[in-house]
Amino acid sequence: MMDVGRHPKVELFTNSEVENVTGFVGNFNVTIRKKARYVDANECTACAECAKVCPVAVPDEYQQGFSSRKAIYMPFPQAVPSAYILNMDNCLGNNPIACGKCADVCEKHCINYDDQDELVNIEVGVVITATGMDVYDPTEYDEYGYTRFDNVITSMEFERLICAGGPTEGHFIRPSDRKIPQKIGFIQCVGSRSQDGRGNPYCSNICCMNTVKDTLLLCDHYPGVEAKVFYMDMRAFGKGFEDLYMRSKEEGVKYVRGIPGDVVEDPETRNLLLTVENTTTGKLEKHELEMLVLSQGVIPRQDGDSIRKLLTLSQTSDGFIMESHPKLKPVDAPTKGIFIAGCVESPKDVKDSVTQASAAAARASILLNAGKTKIEAITSQVDTELCNFCGICAKVCPYNAISASDRKAEKPPTIIAAACAGCGACAAECPQDAILMRHFRDEQIMAQVEALVKDDPEKHLLTFACNWCSYAGGDNAGTARLQYPTSSRLIRTMCSGRVDEKFVMHAFKMGAPMVLVSGCHFADCHYINAVHWTQKRMDRLWNKLDKLGIRVDRLQLEWISAAEGQKFAKVMRELEERVQTVTDEEIEHTKKVLAEEEAKAEAKKKKKAKAGAEVSA
Amino acid sequence: MAPKQVRFKCLMCGHEYDGMYDHENVTERSCPKCRSNSIRRLPDAKVAKS
Repeated sequence: MMDVGRHPKVELFTNSEVENVTGFVGNFNVTIRKKARYVDANECTACAECAKVCPVAVPDEYQQGFSSRKAIYMPFPQAVPSAYILNMDNCLGNNPIACGKCADVCEKHCINYDDQDELVNIEVGVVITATGMDVYDPTEYDEYGYTRFDNVITSMEFERLICAGGPTEGHFIRPSDRKIPQKIGFIQCVGSRSQDGRGNPYCSNICCMNTVKDTLLLCDHYPGVEAKVFYMDMRAFGKGFEDLYMRSKEEGVKYVRGIPGDVVEDPETRNLLLTVENTTTGKLEKHELEMLVLSQGVIPRQDGDSIRKLLTLSQTSDGFIMESHPKLKPVDAPTKGIFIAGCVESPKDVKDSVTQASAAAARASILLNAGKTKIEAITSQVDTELCNFCGICAKVCPYNAISASDRKAEKPPTIIAAACAGCGACAAECPQDAILMRHFRDEQIMAQVEALVKDDPEKHLLTFACNWCSYAGGDNAGTARLQYPTSSRLIRTMCSGRVDEKFVMHAFKMGAPMVLVSGCHFADCHYINAVHWTQKRMDRLWNKLDKLGIRVDRLQLEWISAAEGQKFAKVMRELEERVQTVTDEEIEHTKKVLAEEEAKAEAKKKKKAKAGAEVSA
Repeated sequence: MAPKQVRFKCLMCGHEYDGMYDHENVTERSCPKCRSNSIRRLPDAKVAKS
């Protein structure tokens, strides 16, 4: 952090928030709110005289509330810049008459009660998101007594207590009587790998090794201390981690395979009594401990939603930011020019975070050094003749690549080709068919539909499969030699969001007995959230079919990932059976109804055009 | 538009169930019975009629 602060080519904005991001790769415009600090960071020498006279004491967040800080304070000892900051929520008021002691005592006159937030605009070529994570709050695990017993603490609190720069100067004492405990327990996976609705289902990655490190610190500081770790699995998978784990065992740390079900406190000694089923021996055990540490998991940043939306980042089901590709582009965000590093992507330790940050910096520098970038030809364009300026395309675009149209000024939207990823959701949603794709054009897809149902249409299941997941899922089924009916006919689109209502209706009109639309699972969508529009469109389509008296179950929707070859084959088998239930009469009725609908729509269109021509005349 | 309770129908197995629907924050649907994703949100009028 110090190096970053001192680097001549790095401009550091501390105590600041990103307010807005516009633009695209190579041309991002970022608005940053520099929050008022009330202390001139350039002049402050961190002499601490102001804090000495400040009469306000509040719990110190950095020390996990074990000690207090003043309203004017240094966030933590190695903070960059090394300057004090005044928290106006804690301050007795910015009226010097109310207090003003800090301003009186500051010889350099650094304190300015009238300081204001400042908005700064910067132009950047790329953005690296490294907004980190939060730790899980274990209060919902009431059986561990975190809110009831003083001697139950979290691993973060342990960290402050054992730290030489902490509130106890590194003396590990228990909060109830300030004595050094001799029997300490650690409970693993608090808020992680949970299937009971509390906490999170994923592994937090860092807690096992953090606990191993904590036990070694304890053994180092207090030889003879009795440490016990209650776990479901110890995951020591990194370089040197197994050695560390073995060293901890050699130091006498006892590892008990089992998660305690209950913790009670002895009111006299304030000791804690744990009941745990040791799954190695199969016996119920009771352990008396003087202190208990809850190894809390890691969660996505709770205030990270705004930055995610600003940068059009997508998130996985657990709330972390999704990378463009887990293997081939692990530090790229789906939006070009945006990269991710550290725990914003998933829980990881320092080494992995540094590795990922270095990779992100290298990827960013490739773009910056090149000075220009190649874009895929699969982008959309607006037919200004057809556009009625409704603005739906701008609303639909997951990449904010379409500028909003102006109905009053009759200004059509413009598409930033560098930001467009070519999902085609805008083209599918446009009610005027005014968005044209440069590839996977409407005419091409319609021609594919016609060709595939040309011979024996009643026997074929027509499937629209997205390029990245479902089509790859079909490939997966093929390479795994999974058996599925040969009657299915696949049409590839870049995204299921590209599947226009008219493609589906055209398939039915041509005599297809069933249509399947398949795409990526929501968490895997390669176009941020384009798949959401697929689902909304399907609802509309089902309602339309229902209204026309066509069996709604003839149109199916499935999310199939590239790894789900088995699911692909299963869906194909199930739908093949369903195809057999569609009668020739049904198909004829559908064709007739849709032909009538098309004729009606055509007549309506002609009437409208005629009325328009009369008005203009 | 605030999230509201709606009725869903699985078009694969026919199972019907109630769930929350948020137009702004769409979530992946899957049938609690057969895991199919062909889940239709039944129109309010249709639910009232049934």
